[in-house]
Amino acid sequence: MAGGYNKFGPNDIFYNRVKTHPENRFFINGSQIYYMYQHVRPGEFTGEGSMVSSGHISLYEMNVDRSEAGTGLIKPYVYKDSSYSSFSAVTVDKYFSQYAYGDKIYGVYPMSSSIVRQKFPNGLGATGSALQNTFNFYRPLSPHYEYSSSIFGGNKGDQPSNLIKVPSIFYGSSIKKGSVSLKYYMTGALIAELNDIHKNGELVQIGPTGSNGSGSVAGVVLYNEGFFHLTGAWQLYDAAGGEVVSLDYNNDNTPVATTWQHFCNGCNDGVPHDDPPTVSSNNRGSASFAVDFDGVSYVPTVTMMAHAPIAEFNHSNNLTYLKYNQTAAMTPETGTYQYIENDLIIKNVVSSSYADPTGSFEKTTYISKVGIYDENKNLIGMASLATPVKKTQDREYTFKLKLDI
Amino acid sequence: MATVYKNFLSSDVVNTRTLLHEAIPVTGSLVSGTYGPSDVALGSEPHIKTYSHGMFESVYDYPFLSSSANHIFDITCGYAGTSALSGASNTQNSKKISIYNQMAQVLMGYDHTGTIRLFDQDGDITSGTKMKECYFMNFSRLLVKDEIKKGTFALELGVVPAFTETGDCLAKRIKLTDSSGSNGYFVNSPAGEYGILFAQTTDDGDATLSTAQLHEETITSQVSIATSHKAAGLIFYQAGIAVISGSVFNANDTHDGLLDNAVDTLILGGKTAGNHGFDTITGSTVAVMANGLRNRVYDLQFDNTTELNSAIHFCRVNHNEFNYSANPTYLNGSKIRVKGNNRKNLPVSYITSVGLYSADRELLAVAKLSEPLKKDPTTELTLKVRLDY
Repeated sequence: MAGGYNKFGPNDIFYNRVKTHPENRFFINGSQIYYMYQHVRPGEFTGEGSMVSSGHISLYEMNVDRSEAGTGLIKPYVYKDSSYSSFSAVTVDKYFSQYAYGDKIYGVYPMSSSIVRQKFPNGLGATGSALQNTFNFYRPLSPHYEYSSSIFGGNKGDQPSNLIKVPSIFYGSSIKKGSVSLKYYMTGALIAELNDIHKNGELVQIGPTGSNGSGSVAGVVLYNEGFFHLTGAWQLYDAAGGEVVSLDYNNDNTPVATTWQHFCNGCNDGVPHDDPPTVSSNNRGSASFAVDFDGVSYVPTVTMMAHAPIAEFNHSNNLTYLKYNQTAAMTPETGTYQYIENDLIIKNVVSSSYADPTGSFEKTTYISKVGIYDENKNLIGMASLATPVKKTQDREYTFKLKLDI
Repeated sequence: MATVYKNFLSSDVVNTRTLLHEAIPVTGSLVSGTYGPSDVALGSEPHIKTYSHGMFESVYDYPFLSSSANHIFDITCGYAGTSALSGASNTQNSKKISIYNQMAQVLMGYDHTGTIRLFDQDGDITSGTKMKECYFMNFSRLLVKDEIKKGTFALELGVVPAFTETGDCLAKRIKLTDSSGSNGYFVNSPAGEYGILFAQTTDDGDATLSTAQLHEETITSQVSIATSHKAAGLIFYQAGIAVISGSVFNANDTHDGLLDNAVDTLILGGKTAGNHGFDTITGSTVAVMANGLRNRVYDLQFDNTTELNSAIHFCRVNHNEFNYSANPTYLNGSKIRVKGNNRKNLPVSYITSVGLYSADRELLAVAKLSEPLKKDPTTELTLKVRLDY
């Protein structure tokens, strides 16, 4: 119950943003992706309770452990009307030819997202050249970004490469510089690791110590766009450092030497999970990959300073604020020409060393909630205190309310 | 790069509202059978959360200890202090009264004397029958969103009197719908709009629907006649709360309920001697009552509504505007490249994006076209830029 309304002053409301760093951990083995170390969690109605494939996240998470036949699925829909509102999956042609006005246009839940690897054996070419300006934009960070480099003599347009794409839902505004770690495992042993240790986007092979290519730059990170572009073509040896490991990475029964260009093999790139090669020692399931990085995400916040000044908010409309058993006095005196409310006694809650008498009367309240109202005095938010705060006439408080928006 | 700034006129900006709906099915198998009566006893399912205070229980769509689980709704029940069922010796008597009072004061408000209004059967709060014993189903905001779409709520309940956990009690059913919701809703609640839930028979266990399960109901041509449908509860659309009258579970002759005398009063489980139907509440906890309702939910569905506000900016490009570009590639040797060295040719530009600027020319938003639009002095365009928020 509102005890009073105070207006926020110009210095009472602040708009800020909190910078957060969401952690992301992907692990890929045998064309199976695992996100944040989560294994498949079967449901009662579906093989995967979250209804999205392993390694994916579900937008909205609306359909959990549901099936069309068993429980029905939650489906979004809009009515076709003059506003032309629809779902992005509904093409313009379909919108006008398959739906009449008033029809329901359905969408589909869940929508999922995961990382995707795309291999460019002949360079980025026409498809990947859309990234040319983006690569060159990062040129001040490192010359390794240059699309066509005079320094290193490489042209990303025709240089075999490996592109790992991370949707922004995982990282927010950008990938955090210095947080990227790409690990290449062979039969469970680490054989190579890339890290952007210089925070300039260069993915430097930092280990294991003495590994082939250690200290070399194997690719770059497009931090804002969420891409890892790997061009490192040197061969990676097994953990003992003696032999090059060749596996059937391309699913054509032809083993090829392990390089960074096979990193994340099987990660939503069309390489099947259940098609082992004829020579078992060439099984690409021997290789596994870890993709770790943190994101940078901003949460806008509004901070409000709610003041309880001296001699204000010392009255309450709660019935318990009044002394008990004043029933008769609560009825106002009314007549043809008068309406007189009786004086009511406020309960004295001032403590003393004795139960009775109490201490000298002083208007005392306990503030338990702060309500936020709009200009029309509609209650739009409520902050509850962990414990009520004692408010006397000579005390003043400022409550700091923070709201994520 | 903006080369020309053009001010919007008042007729160029229009605010619109789009309603996005979601169809939410909550089948009985999800409410009471996901982890099946055959596997786990009613009330012990991993997707049912109970609390030590015992005032309500929560239904999830997955074991609630999992982060993937979504809260679907809470179930609780109570009665007014003036109800005939109220009694000091009842189990959780004060809690049940408190639950009813809390729901009633939020959803129905107070009268002019400061007394809590009771739930009204027909929406006319000045008079008429009051619902003093009720179940409450509080749906999660995750599912309700802005509001339940009027006219879409349906709750189908099994009305075979015997209590079983095998699904046999669902062989005969009635359905509670807000059939008049789309235009017959009420606005005299402090919690927003609400509609009346009407009951009708949907399945009498026979091959053809012919036996009414509800008192004074008429079935013609296998359809329950609409005019005979009785009020069985209320649905509060913005609050996302369904109030189910206790009379739904009682026979007409013995407990003054909605069910036909031939159907008999339902056994909700945990019954005490002589108490059937909603009278079970006197000797049972809220949790037992909630399980009793869950066990009889055959189907539950509604559609929700989300309001999406949009500002549509009509960006008008007149014939003599935006035919020039400040891009360096537009010129070649100080000549407009696309003119092909013929100064008599018309200038041409390709519009690829539209920038929206504040009054002090700060770039606020950029709209991208799927493909560049050719613009020359012979064409005029209106680009519709929609901003959802």
